Amino acid sequence: MKNMILGLAVLAMAACNTTTTVKENSDTTTVKTETATTTVQGSSSKDVVAHYLHVKNALAKDDAADAANGGNALMQAFTSYDQTALTEEQKKTFVDISAAAKEHAEHIAKNAGKIEHQREHFAMLSKDMYDFVKAMGAGQTLYQDHCPMYNNNKGANWLSETKEISNPYLGKKMPDCGTVKETLQ
Amino acid sequence: MRLAKKAGWVLLAIIIVIQFIRPARNTGGRVLETDITHTVSVSPEVLSVLQTACYDCHSNHTRYPWYANIQPIAWLLNAHVRDGKKELNFSEFGSYSERRQRSKMVTLAEQVEEGAMPLPLYRLLHSKARLTEKEKALIIEWATKMPDTVSTKKNGNE
Repeated sequence: MKNMILGLAVLAMAACNTTTTVKENSDTTTVKTETATTTVQGSSSKDVVAHYLHVKNALAKDDAADAANGGNALMQAFTSYDQTALTEEQKKTFVDISAAAKEHAEHIAKNAGKIEHQREHFAMLSKDMYDFVKAMGAGQTLYQDHCPMYNNNKGANWLSETKEISNPYLGKKMPDCGTVKETLQ
Repeated sequence: MRLAKKAGWVLLAIIIVIQFIRPARNTGGRVLETDITHTVSVSPEVLSVLQTACYDCHSNHTRYPWYANIQPIAWLLNAHVRDGKKELNFSEFGSYSERRQRSKMVTLAEQVEEGAMPLPLYRLLHSKARLTEKEKALIIEWATKMPDTVSTKKNGNE
């Protein structure tokens, strides 16, 4: 009987714990500006771009699970991004972009079973990444590509490290659909 | 046999005890300055759909059904509200950056179009949240147009 009472108490406490976290507010108040506190060195723009390209290449191969991996890595790269070398203006831009881009990366990471949903977020992520590269540089040449057919012919853009088209929206169905719109040095 | 009886009593006790563990309710009284109606133009028709089909989980104003007084249902509901608000909170829409406001609207239109939102279970329990084709079209049109209005109306928190 004693054990049961103890069990009840534990249960009640566990329940209390789950309810205390409930009143937490939306994430808008916790826009991350801190750098990583772990021993891992802060990530660079190059890392961010590399993980974005990881997602892109996985989607081009219709590999949702690998895209999710890339999404996770991208999220972390944004979180641990080293901002020390940024100007004030760049810092502001970074906070703005990373808050949005991290959300998209998170959705890509969590939807390994839904590649079309991943692609929706990838389309928005690609816009953010374009602005990111414009503001921070990529440390490599990138191409902004355009796919006119995606999303019922509304079209969408993406960034690529190669001049050859490898379409992340239509995947293996139409791997070479699209055109280079701009070269980002 | 006696053990089964004992277990029954314990279960009953647990059920009674958990009724006293009530999560805080998501019912902010006033309309915040960051409310979506202060950020972008929302027609009465659109607002009405948002309120009936979305606000329970995506605002600070949840209308609780009677069964929200029963545990552990309330805990479950609460988790949904928490997750929903984390993704999109119409009461705090104005505090998002323009960039996020735009992407929220794109996602909103897509989710409604696909029928991913409102959630199937929610639709099952709330007949009014089963959007008609007309209501869907109305919301999608509004959300698709909105990115243009976002940039013209002043941003709440910048």
